Amino acid sequence: MTIRKVAAVWAGKGTGALSRISRRGGGTTLPGDVARAIDPRILTRLTGDLSQGSAVITGTNGKTTTARLLTWLLEGVGQRVVSNRAGANLIFGVTAATLSRAGADGRLRADWGVFEIDEASLPRAAGEVQPKATLVLNLFRDQLDRYGELESIAKKIERALAALPETAHVILNADDPRVAEIGLGLPNKPVWFGLDDPRVAGKQLPHAADARTCPRCGSSLVFEAVYVGHDGVYHCPNHDFARPAPDITATDIALDGFDSLAMTIRGTRVEMPLGGLYNCYNVLAAYATACSLGLDGGYIAERLRTFRAAFGRQERIDFRGRHLILVLSKNPAGFNETVRTAVDLAHATNFVIGLNDRKADGTDVSWIWDVDFEQLQNKARVVIPAGNRAYDLAVRLKYAGVAAEEPQTDPARALDLLIKTTNEGDTAHLLCTYTAMLDLRAELVRRGWAQPYWET
Amino acid sequence: MSQTFTVGWLYPDLMNIYGDRGNILTLLKRAEWHGYEPRLVELQRGAAQMMDDVDVFFFGGGQDREQALVYDDLIEIKQEPLEAAVAKGSVVLAVCGGYQLLGHYYQTAEGERFPGIGLIDVRTEAGKKRFIGDVVVDASIEGVDPSTLVGFENHSGRTFLGVGARPLGRVRLGAGNNGTDGTEGCVQGGVVGTYLHGSLLPKNPHLADYLIRRALSRRGMGELVPLDDSTELAAHARILERAQQRAGER
Ligand SMILES: [Zn+2]
Repeated sequence: MTIRKVAAVWAGKGTGALSRISRRGGGTTLPGDVARAIDPRILTRLTGDLSQGSAVITGTNGKTTTARLLTWLLEGVGQRVVSNRAGANLIFGVTAATLSRAGADGRLRADWGVFEIDEASLPRAAGEVQPKATLVLNLFRDQLDRYGELESIAKKIERALAALPETAHVILNADDPRVAEIGLGLPNKPVWFGLDDPRVAGKQLPHAADARTCPRCGSSLVFEAVYVGHDGVYHCPNHDFARPAPDITATDIALDGFDSLAMTIRGTRVEMPLGGLYNCYNVLAAYATACSLGLDGGYIAERLRTFRAAFGRQERIDFRGRHLILVLSKNPAGFNETVRTAVDLAHATNFVIGLNDRKADGTDVSWIWDVDFEQLQNKARVVIPAGNRAYDLAVRLKYAGVAAEEPQTDPARALDLLIKTTNEGDTAHLLCTYTAMLDLRAELVRRGWAQPYWET
Repeated sequence: MSQTFTVGWLYPDLMNIYGDRGNILTLLKRAEWHGYEPRLVELQRGAAQMMDDVDVFFFGGGQDREQALVYDDLIEIKQEPLEAAVAKGSVVLAVCGGYQLLGHYYQTAEGERFPGIGLIDVRTEAGKKRFIGDVVVDASIEGVDPSTLVGFENHSGRTFLGVGARPLGRVRLGAGNNGTDGTEGCVQGGVVGTYLHGSLLPKNPHLADYLIRRALSRRGMGELVPLDDSTELAAHARILERAQQRAGER
C-alpha cells in the first residue's frame, strides 16, 4: 500500500461525489482524471486488489450489453463485480469505476473487474489491467473522424492481444473477417465463436459492410451467410483465407422483436429477454467468455433468463398509455440491425430517429447514407427526425422514399410531436445515437417519465 | 419510354467510405425526378462495361488498404475508357481519395511519388495534421444557386492546383485543398474534384443538378425543371447557420 495510491483514491473519490451532487452526468470520468494525475499507475494498483481478476470487452457494437451480461453472470454466483457503466469506456472511465468501489484505505474490494473498452484504448487498458479474458466482438466502421481508419484500430487491437501473456484467454468473433484476421495472426490460438443458423442469415452484404476483401490476396470475399453487417460465413475464392471454425456456436435461433431471443449453445437452450440478431452475438460472446472464466453452461443458461437490458440499449418507458422503446443505434451496422428488428420482427410503425454530431456520436454524419432507411418504406406510419442533425436525417429519409414529419432539433418538441402522433396504447421506437439518446432521455426525466440513469 | 440517365460508380465495394453512397442515391433519384430512367453501372475491379454510356462517373474515397487494391486496376483497365468518355463530355465527380487519384501524383512524407492518372491538373502531398470538420465553400462555378456548398472534410493530403484546373470554390469555413491558399476542390472541363463528404450532393442539390445538366448537354439535352428542394436546402441552411455561429464565437 503506497501513500500515493491512497491519496489518488481519496482525491478521485472527492471529485466523484462533487460531480454527482452537481448532477453533471453521474460523475463517470472526472475522478479518473484526478486520480491518474496523482498516481499514473493507480488503475494497475487497484485492479491488482481484485481477488479473481478482470475481463475486458472491446469491439464497435455490443460492448455495454455484453459487459452487463458477463457482470450479471458473475454476480449470480456471488462474485463482487466492479464495472464501468454509462458508456465511460476510455481509460479514465475505467479508472473512475474502480475508484468508486475502493475503500477509505485505498483498497478495491471486489472479486472481478468487467470493463468495456473503447477499441483505440485497448492496448493501454490491457497493459494496465492485465485481463484474464479479452473479448473482441466485431469491427465496423464507426466515428471515422475520431479514429481514422478501421485499419489502424485493427492494428492497435492486434498489438494489444499479441502482448498478452500465454495464460490469458482471448475470445474472438470468427464471423467478423477483420477480427478473424487479427486472431489468425496471434501466437496462441484464441477461442472462436460464431452463429450457425442459415435460416436467419441473409445472402447479400449490406451497403455498410467494410471488410469485404481477403487480407492475403485482396480478392473480394464470398459470403455464404450474412448475419450482421459484414459478420457471417465467408471464404476467399483463392482459398487462402476463410472464417475460422468456431469453437462455440449458436444454432436454432428464434427471434421475437425486441422482446426475446432463443438459441442453442453447446446443447443447452438459452432464452433471453433481449431482442435482435445482434444480441445473439452479445449473448454468445458473454457465454463463451463466462465459460473461459470457469462458469458452468447450465448455470449460464438459467441465469440469462432473468437479465435486464442496459440503459438506453433497449429500455422501455411507459407514459400516458404510450409505450416507448429506446434503442441505441450509433453506426451503420447497428442502425441497420435495429431498423430491421423494429420493422420485420416488432412490426413497429412509429419512430423517433435521433442524430447528433457531438464528439461521442461522431462529428461526421455522412454514415447515415450507409444505413438502409429504405426498410421503413411503406411500413413506418410516423417518422420524426430528431437531434441536432435532424435536417440531415430528413434529407436521408426523403431519398429513402420515407415520408417524415418536420425535423425537430429540440428534444422537448420532438417528444411533443410524438405524443401528438402516437395514440394511447400504441408503441413508438426511439432509435438514436448516443448523445441524442441522452438528450431525449433527459427530457423524459425532466417530465418525470424516466429515472435519471445513475439511479436505475 | 423515357430516356435513361446512367451513373457509373467506380469501385463501389472498395471506394465507398464516409457514406459516399449518398452521392449515388442523389444522382439517381434526381435524374428520376427530372423524368429520366436512372441506371447504375457498378465498375468493379476488372470491369469496364458500358463506360461509354455513363453520364456521370462517381469516384469516392477509400481506406489506404482499399485504395492500394484499386490502384493497378485504375491504371490498367479504367484509365483509357474514362479518358475517352470524359473527352466526349461525360462528367466525373471525385471525392477525397478519388480526387487525389485523378491528379498527377500523391507524394508521401518520405518523398516517394505514386502517380495518378493525370486527368486533372492537381498534385497532392502528404500532410501531418488531419483536416476534420464542417466546410462551407463559396462556389466559383456559374449557374449554381445558392452559391454556397456545404460538407465535411476529413483528409491529411494537401492538394495543389496547376494552371489547367480552377478551384471549385473558396473556403469560408474549413481547410479545403491544402489549408493555405483558401481554395477547395477543382473543376477542369467536366471533372469536379473535392474533399467534401457529408454526403456532398444530398445537401447541395444545386451541384447535383449542375452535374446532371452538364452531362445531358453532351446528348443535346439539359433543360431541367426545378424540383422542390426545400428539405435539402433547409439542411444546407442549417450548416450555414452553424458556420456563422462559429465564426461569431471566434
Ligand atoms: Zn485470398
